[in-house]
Amino acid sequence: MDDLGMGQRKIKKYLRDLAAALRTLPGTQARDIVEELRSHILDKVGRDMTSAGVDAALAALGRADDLASVYLGDALPAQALVSRSPLLIRRRWCRWAGQSFTGLLALIGSLCGSFVAAALVGCALLKPIHPLTAGLWRIPDAADPYSFSLRLGFGSVPLGSSDVMGWWIIPLGLLFGLGIFFLTARLGLSSLRRLRQANPLGPQLN
Amino acid sequence: MEPVLAKALLDAGDKWEVQVRKGCLELAILAALWSERLYGLGILRRLAEDSALIVPEGTVYPLLSRLKAEGLLASEWVEADAGHPRKYYWLTASGRRRAVQMAQFWSTFSANLAVLLAPLRKEER
Repeated sequence: MDDLGMGQRKIKKYLRDLAAALRTLPGTQARDIVEELRSHILDKVGRDMTSAGVDAALAALGRADDLASVYLGDALPAQALVSRSPLLIRRRWCRWAGQSFTGLLALIGSLCGSFVAAALVGCALLKPIHPLTAGLWRIPDAADPYSFSLRLGFGSVPLGSSDVMGWWIIPLGLLFGLGIFFLTARLGLSSLRRLRQANPLGPQLN
Repeated sequence: MEPVLAKALLDAGDKWEVQVRKGCLELAILAALWSERLYGLGILRRLAEDSALIVPEGTVYPLLSRLKAEGLLASEWVEADAGHPRKYYWLTASGRRRAVQMAQFWSTFSANLAVLLAPLRKEER
């Protein structure tokens, strides 16, 4: 293969890697980004479509994965802030957790909140199916007289246990479970806003 | 000065400069687009020629994308003589307002800081 062909192949590979790394973005947005960078590379290379000329142009842009991560870091908070989707907010948190200790703490908080919310809602929903075992139970324990267990109703309850809330677990579990779920998402939204204001460009720009 | 300490101070200085450039880039891009429509590489050249602000190319495009998502910029693809289309950007009305606000803040901020820095300038001489 001649030098010009090699240069074109390198551009194609770079843009293919970029498109692959941007696959989580909406299709039109990802295509637009790839086309803009294709245009940029062709402008930079100009008539010097040799392998060395292309290498220099691609090196100035940085690795395709790194470039995509700046777009994704920017796009995910924007999508999450616009859509307010709890799933998008949690996805953004996962990315943030990989970048900083604060992000890791936020992710752990988010996971704990989601776990408690899911347990409460699950317990409320399963109470009609397992009326004798699902609920908030007080378990007899010599060491700790106030030992409680939130049970989904699978398996048996230890002897001597008492169902603390009875059928009240249904409205209260749903109320508190959904409340905690949306409170966690809301806290996530405000932390994403702060993150976006504090770090508008993501980790790059060195 | 100890070499390790000197290196640490230099590194800290580099990081500080990166942060300052990072903070200014949004204003610089809005200012570059104040009087004309430009495509990505045109903006980079304008920043380098008019303000000696040399930034990694990979940081400008995501920022343009974000400014557009925030409604400060608009864009369109234009067929160019180069043989491939280019994506041109320009300021929206909201982008122009934001640029003016940022420029006002920057002027006040740098004037105030200049007063504080005056004794250091004498030291430089």
